[in-house]
Amino acid sequence: MKEVLSRLKKMAEPARHRFQQAGEEGIPLRLRFFLFLAVLVLTIFLGFIAILLLAGTFTAGLSETERFFENELARISDEISEQYGQLSLQTVELAEKLSRDIEQQSSSMGIFPSQLGEHPYMLEEIIAAECDELLLALQLAKSSGVFFILDATINPALVNAANSKAGLYIKNMEPNVISATSPNIIMLRGFPAISRKKSLPLHAQWQLEFDVSDAPYYHRPMEAARANPGLPLSRLYFWSAALRLPDTSEEIMLCSAPLIDSKGHIFGVCGFEISAMLFKLSHSMDSGSYKHLFCLLSPLAGDTIELEHSFIAGGYAARIASAEVNRLQVSKQRRHLYSYRQDKDHKFLGLHTDIQLYPRDSVFADQRWIVTAMVPEADILVSVTRLNIILFSSLTLLVIIGVIVSFNLGNRLFIKPISQGFNIIKSSDLDAAPKVKVPEIDALIDHLALRNRELAERARQENLSLDTLNRFLEKTRELTPAEREVFKLYGEGLTAKEIAARLYLSINTIKTHSKRIYSKLEVSSREEIILYTTLLREMGKEIN
Amino acid sequence: MQFSRLVAFIVLLSLALAIMPGCSGRSGDPIILTLWHNYGGQLKETMDELIDEFNETVGAREGIIISVTSISGSAAIHEKLTMAANEEPGAPALPDITIAYPKTALLLAEKGLLANLDELFTPVELSAYVPQFLQEGRIKDGALYVFPTAKSTEVLFLNRTIFDRFASETGVSIDDLRTFEGIARVAALYYDWTDAQTPAVKSDGKAFFMSDSLFNYALVGCQQLGADLLKGNTINFSSPEYARVWESYFKPAAMGHAAIYNGYATDLFKTGEIICSTGSTAGIMFFSPTVTYPDNTTEPAEPAILPYPVFEGGKKAAIQRGAGMCIIKSTEEKEKLAAVFLKWFTRPENNLRFVASTGYLPVTVEAYGDIMSRELETISDENIKNLLSACRKMQQEYEFVIPPLFEGIDQLQEKYESSFKGIASSCR
Repeated sequence: MKEVLSRLKKMAEPARHRFQQAGEEGIPLRLRFFLFLAVLVLTIFLGFIAILLLAGTFTAGLSETERFFENELARISDEISEQYGQLSLQTVELAEKLSRDIEQQSSSMGIFPSQLGEHPYMLEEIIAAECDELLLALQLAKSSGVFFILDATINPALVNAANSKAGLYIKNMEPNVISATSPNIIMLRGFPAISRKKSLPLHAQWQLEFDVSDAPYYHRPMEAARANPGLPLSRLYFWSAALRLPDTSEEIMLCSAPLIDSKGHIFGVCGFEISAMLFKLSHSMDSGSYKHLFCLLSPLAGDTIELEHSFIAGGYAARIASAEVNRLQVSKQRRHLYSYRQDKDHKFLGLHTDIQLYPRDSVFADQRWIVTAMVPEADILVSVTRLNIILFSSLTLLVIIGVIVSFNLGNRLFIKPISQGFNIIKSSDLDAAPKVKVPEIDALIDHLALRNRELAERARQENLSLDTLNRFLEKTRELTPAEREVFKLYGEGLTAKEIAARLYLSINTIKTHSKRIYSKLEVSSREEIILYTTLLREMGKEIN
Repeated sequence: MQFSRLVAFIVLLSLALAIMPGCSGRSGDPIILTLWHNYGGQLKETMDELIDEFNETVGAREGIIISVTSISGSAAIHEKLTMAANEEPGAPALPDITIAYPKTALLLAEKGLLANLDELFTPVELSAYVPQFLQEGRIKDGALYVFPTAKSTEVLFLNRTIFDRFASETGVSIDDLRTFEGIARVAALYYDWTDAQTPAVKSDGKAFFMSDSLFNYALVGCQQLGADLLKGNTINFSSPEYARVWESYFKPAAMGHAAIYNGYATDLFKTGEIICSTGSTAGIMFFSPTVTYPDNTTEPAEPAILPYPVFEGGKKAAIQRGAGMCIIKSTEEKEKLAAVFLKWFTRPENNLRFVASTGYLPVTVEAYGDIMSRELETISDENIKNLLSACRKMQQEYEFVIPPLFEGIDQLQEKYESSFKGIASSCR
């Protein structure tokens, strides 16, 4: 440890020395220049950051996210709209077809379809006759199931007979796989005899009849048809929110339309199913940089999304609907994004748009459905922060490069010629010195050279050649420190007495020094010393 | 010199700072692994819970999201995997992890689509699993391609409610169902008994029994009698043991005492058309708690689960069934992460949770052994508890038969079953 410290100390020594020197001798030109540049560039940098802040560049990540959400939402809502719109149309077509077929078959048996409840023994035959129609409809639709329910039960004597309705429900367990050879079709509700005849296995949760005690897909379109006689089927179909049929484990959405005979009697419903899995597989999200991006299709009540009534698709595999809080609170954010809050730990950001599941004049047109594209809030924060770090790092890098380049350029174009000029000035032969190509410095050197020439001329006039002066200068270097001290004071014009007083020495000692000084410098008087010293000083030469 | 070094250092540091945020994204970008499984119906909830838990714990830590993109029956998954392996038009893209029976896995492995699991698990890790289960997954050149996640065997299912009514009137006993010969005798009595319920209608007796897999019935039957069903890649119809096995099922089937049906016995249980069957332990989840009759009246159905029956004088043997999980070949990283999921999924505590609510058997030595006997009493589902207790008994007393695996076994099996049913139907 000690060794490391001493090594560090050693390494820092030159810098310490330089600072100490700067303290004693002032800051060197090079350092001054560097500091000046650093302050200048830093000021520009801060100004630039301020401008970027005002211009909103640091929230560019957020804007990009918003644009991404807008695009993804537009794409996914178009897809969903098309899928649901297509199934709505197919539901209406199926309802028209089944209404006609069942009416025909019933009348061939001598009854109206609405009288089937009174003739339960006819149900199996009538339902079996429509099985092929349902299988065909299922094959043509991008749907995971097809069904029809008649307002009749096989056994009116049973306790729950009022809520038990006969019908047929066929599911395609693999709606995403096109397999003509062995489509995975099974029967969820209906007579076992039909399943045997058509080789359709029974679903694990098969039941003979539908339990409609809590079945909006059954009651709502029928009630709507009763309340609006004469309204076409295209204005009466109904989309149920995500639900589970009694005793089943799969979440589904159902589109159902009433079955109405030519006399206007309503005798059941029919429709298609979209399973949660089909929805998930049909609407994969292009998650881009957001791996947790997902979309929801949900009915919107006020500002609340009920997760258990929604379908989810996307990379976010955790079933958010299974969390303790089963709803999302929608609220607007400062920017375009919305916040969808589940609880204090689960918050999502995204965008939603309304989706039109019904014609404007449909009985159910007031139901509001939305498609939402969202990600966990933390993901957006991470993404935006990451972008900003990249931006900030790039700017910092630019600044550093800027300082280095400008310092190098400044050094070459500014500091170097000045130092060169100083060296020339310090040299003895200014006339022979090269040009530094900085006009101001070259002019100064010329001026000093001229001055030297004038001084030389003056010395010559006073019988002193430049050589004599230089020789004198050389000889001063032979003086002892004590003699030099006395010589310096002579040069300043002090008398021997004054020098003795200044140096706290006796006059005799000064005289002894003087003698030696005179001898060494080959002069004969104090005045002579003063003359030489003045001439040398005027020439800019220091006597050390 | 020193100054230029400093400059270079600053530039490099700045570059690193600028680039780092872009690279550090890995931990924030989890890998989504798609999964196909056949745990539908009531099994789905258990599977969903386990997958959610994985995604929220180990998955969140390791950057893995398991996304289920198909839940369908094993036959449907086999069909899809075959389509995808053959790149047929309309076939879905292969998932990252899929459940598959060895026969399906072999097809995928032959095409080089499966990851060799020996490279993803250490020998020490593999030593934690029941060796026979691992052996079943070594389908090509001794390499492990099918990872045991939940296995099954065949047991005898019985609608106890109806059987007790029948037994009290005819004097048959549940012990009669220990042997296939006993089952045939009881089936004849049951047909007569049900026929007698409606004196006005002649010959409307009901079938008593059905085997979900006639091929397994013959395979295990021959083993019990000390012979092999197969000679090379074909069935050896000429052995006296096979003749006995054939007789035991064909006669009841031709007489209507045993059902002939192209589906699972549970369909017929639902409507009370049979009351006894042999089939996979996993079938327990498909048993309806009620029987629904044609007039929509229902009756509760309490199931009883008994060890697989044995031919009189034969040794106790039963089939070892159950699909395993395969990892589809992709990137090294994805394969490693898929293995992380499989390890977590088969950890004794998770394996037992799955087993406790599904009717499958655990796959690790620890879970299969002590823990299962210890935890058996804590299982709340009575049916599962009875099932596992029957399996424990079988584990101690039975020999398990691994189904043969060779190219064409699927077709052979299918042909055998359809021919058998066809002949039996024509004799009715």
